[in-house]
Amino acid sequence: MSLVMQVIQNSDEELRYPTPGEMRMFQNFCKTGERRIRIASILAENEQRIVERGSWRFWKRCPVTPSNSGNLRKTSSCQRDQGWYVRLVAYCVLAGNEKPLADIGTIGMKEMYNSLGIPLANWVEAVRCLKEERSPF
Amino acid sequence: MSTTANGGSPVVCPQRYHTVPTTVITQAEQQDRYLKHSELNELASYFSSGTKLMEIAATLTQNAEAIVSAGANRIFVWGTPMAYLEKPPNRKNLPGYNVFPRQRITTAPQETLKQQAPFYPFYQDWISKVVDLGRSLLDDKDPVPEGFSPINIRRYGPDRMKKSMRDLSWFLRYVTYAIVAGDSSILTVNVKGLRGIIPEDVTIATVVAMQTMKWKALTYFKADAEAAAIIKQHFDQMIADYQVAKPTVLLRQGVSNDQQGLQLPPSYSSAAAHRPKLVMKPNLSATEKQDAIKAAYRQVFERDITRAYGVSLADLESQVKSGMISMKEFIRHLGQSRLYRKEFYEPFVISRVIELAFRHFLGRGVSSIEEFQEHFAIISKAGLAALINALVDSQEYADYFGEETVPYLRGLGLEAQECRNWGAQIDLFKYSAPVRKVPQFLTLFGDYQKPLPDQHPYGAGNDPLEIQFGAIFPPENTAHTARPAIFDEDSRRILINCGAGLDKGASHSPGLGKAPGSLGTRVLRFNRSAITNGHTLNGKTPKAGQSTNVNFSSSWAEVVIHGTYRQVFGRDVYDGQRQTAAEIKLKSGEITVRDFIRQVAKSRPFRSLYWESLYITKAIEYIHRRLMGRPTYGRREMNHYYDLCARKGFYALVDDILDSSEYLEAFGEDTVPYERYITPRGYALRGLRGELPLPKVAPEDHHNNGFHSSYKGMDYTGVIGVVPHFHRALKHGMPQSAISIKLEEVKQLRAEMTQRAAEQASEDREESSEFSPQPEAVQPVEVAPQ
Repeated sequence: MSLVMQVIQNSDEELRYPTPGEMRMFQNFCKTGERRIRIASILAENEQRIVERGSWRFWKRCPVTPSNSGNLRKTSSCQRDQGWYVRLVAYCVLAGNEKPLADIGTIGMKEMYNSLGIPLANWVEAVRCLKEERSPF
Repeated sequence: MSTTANGGSPVVCPQRYHTVPTTVITQAEQQDRYLKHSELNELASYFSSGTKLMEIAATLTQNAEAIVSAGANRIFVWGTPMAYLEKPPNRKNLPGYNVFPRQRITTAPQETLKQQAPFYPFYQDWISKVVDLGRSLLDDKDPVPEGFSPINIRRYGPDRMKKSMRDLSWFLRYVTYAIVAGDSSILTVNVKGLRGIIPEDVTIATVVAMQTMKWKALTYFKADAEAAAIIKQHFDQMIADYQVAKPTVLLRQGVSNDQQGLQLPPSYSSAAAHRPKLVMKPNLSATEKQDAIKAAYRQVFERDITRAYGVSLADLESQVKSGMISMKEFIRHLGQSRLYRKEFYEPFVISRVIELAFRHFLGRGVSSIEEFQEHFAIISKAGLAALINALVDSQEYADYFGEETVPYLRGLGLEAQECRNWGAQIDLFKYSAPVRKVPQFLTLFGDYQKPLPDQHPYGAGNDPLEIQFGAIFPPENTAHTARPAIFDEDSRRILINCGAGLDKGASHSPGLGKAPGSLGTRVLRFNRSAITNGHTLNGKTPKAGQSTNVNFSSSWAEVVIHGTYRQVFGRDVYDGQRQTAAEIKLKSGEITVRDFIRQVAKSRPFRSLYWESLYITKAIEYIHRRLMGRPTYGRREMNHYYDLCARKGFYALVDDILDSSEYLEAFGEDTVPYERYITPRGYALRGLRGELPLPKVAPEDHHNNGFHSSYKGMDYTGVIGVVPHFHRALKHGMPQSAISIKLEEVKQLRAEMTQRAAEQASEDREESSEFSPQPEAVQPVEVAPQ
């Protein structure tokens, strides 16, 4: 699902051509395209760094957490998941709306982490750290 | 066939067509990677052409009418076809439909959505026709197919005319969409197979109309070769798709007898997200081989294992790359590896291992209980390795994946999905699947074979309407949607008989209240006649056969009043909450107990406690239990009350309950309502354990409470309505599958029972007038004379 698809779907439901407003949305989407691509490729290049420095920051804030428990496997699988979310965010930037993130990532996520025994509050904090890590770029 | 279970129906949003961004992103997502440079370039060129695409779309939108009329005029004669085109609804000035005042787009504001003139001048039409004809002779147009002859509008009829014009404008609109999407898949999906739907005799004419529309559209872009190419591409695609015959459906392959033989319409498969099927062939390049190996890891381990665990099976990888073993053998080795055992065998119960293995090696969920049992036999006999072998060597694996293809998930859009495991299968394909420990498929298939359990629409085994103070909503971290209960309008909750009222009827259960040693249900009956007659019978021996063996002193009235408050409020009320006026009227015999209850129930404190502060379902349930003495039966009854509350409100609800025939039958004018039925959950809550005891096991502590019958006995025999049904089923050895009781049956049963109860009661009265001093049916409490 991307912004383009959304525009088409909306106008198709009402049996009409895209309105000027929708055209404008589409135009803006295309105009910012170059920037979107740049953002996505920066994210791709720096994923490792973002995740590592993000976790470092996260452990400072929240030292008692499964990924900091000294179990190497837990740490690496947590970092894998974090990298996964960074990638999904890159998709969303390209698609122009957050549907890919919801479809692939966040629906059912709460349940998954609950049953894995990962405190959701910590998870939120970790993602917040990832987000802050991104700001220098 | 009636089903008694449901695996949940998670909402799925199948993709309906491709656009450039979605295509690119889904491809990367399938392989868990960032976008490649080539894909980024593709996106970049799409973005840079965005302005151009928008201009084209805007021009087409602006001239839509002219283009459609060109197409229509070419194929229709003797009339004005545009008169049959229905106007689009006028949406001007609605939010989002106008151009922003400051930032106008470069092209002139649209003209198309303007109302069309109802009458199309005849001469103007002819002039445009002649002009178009002249132009078409000059321009390079596509050759008109053989056998084309124009259609006479008068003979064609207005209905078909309207449809034709609608379709022509539809074609143009979809071309515009395709241009915006940058991908003609939206045309392919919708136009393929249309030939069979639009009558065959106008196929050629339709093609001619499309060609003319294309020509007309191109006339607006004479100077712009790039735009012309884009338009041409989409129109040509549409014409080509229209001309193919209806494509065949995709049949789900399978060898087993319990396959459902499902078909997937081709439009779904062409619209769905494209999943790359990777194959491993000796002549591929190194990177392609690496891709295939990564895909195999993703399929079997669901995660990128090299990253997470630092594991790579270098030996196996080199073997498969050099072609020593096929992809199928590679998959088999992965399945039998130590890592697979550790990840997907050791943490799970066997049933779940089988389900996950189906996902990894066949790309689907378990489809039936038979299939499951077959594989369960294999794994329990020979272990995990044998199960993997059985799956990889199966005919199905060979049909779908063969020797070279990497297995993939056969999800939505690739194949028709079975409905009997719909929810479970969709859950199985999610990233979170290995986190679920419960064997979902087996649970579901097991539920199919069980009779309707005691359950609630919010989820199996979850009856939040059981009145507990505090927790009425289920805990948030369990997903009830995964196991919703089948609970339709006609099914009823199972209720346990706990009162004294109906135990003379069809039910032979002694009932909770009749257990020896227990006090039983306290039934309070108020005798008005004693008061209205003006004299008391205090100190006299009561006559046998009459329920006058009670104390009629003022304290008796007090007892009734207290009992009423306790029944209606669930506790003793504070002095300020008492309905003093009504009490006096009751004592003086002006009103009956039923009226007294009505006044208490309509009082301000009751309303604020149980109506205003609760959500509607709980309020109804609570009031119903208090006044009618039993929980509601189910949806049909609730619907009635919902309707009543919505239309007439609280007071009507109270009146409806108190005036119902059931109330009059059960309690009459002078008896204070008492609890006649409770839900099994409510029954269990009153035990010492506070939780639902297992069925068919007699809980020990209930013996101590003075209940002599086992839970099983009560469950089956104490239940109104369910009983005969259940016994019939048991007697004939039927599977106890459907106990969703139809209301008609219930009505009939109840009629029978009340009749029998009435007969019995009259017998009893006759008997008791001779022998026993007290009637058994309703046993008023004796209050010691003061």
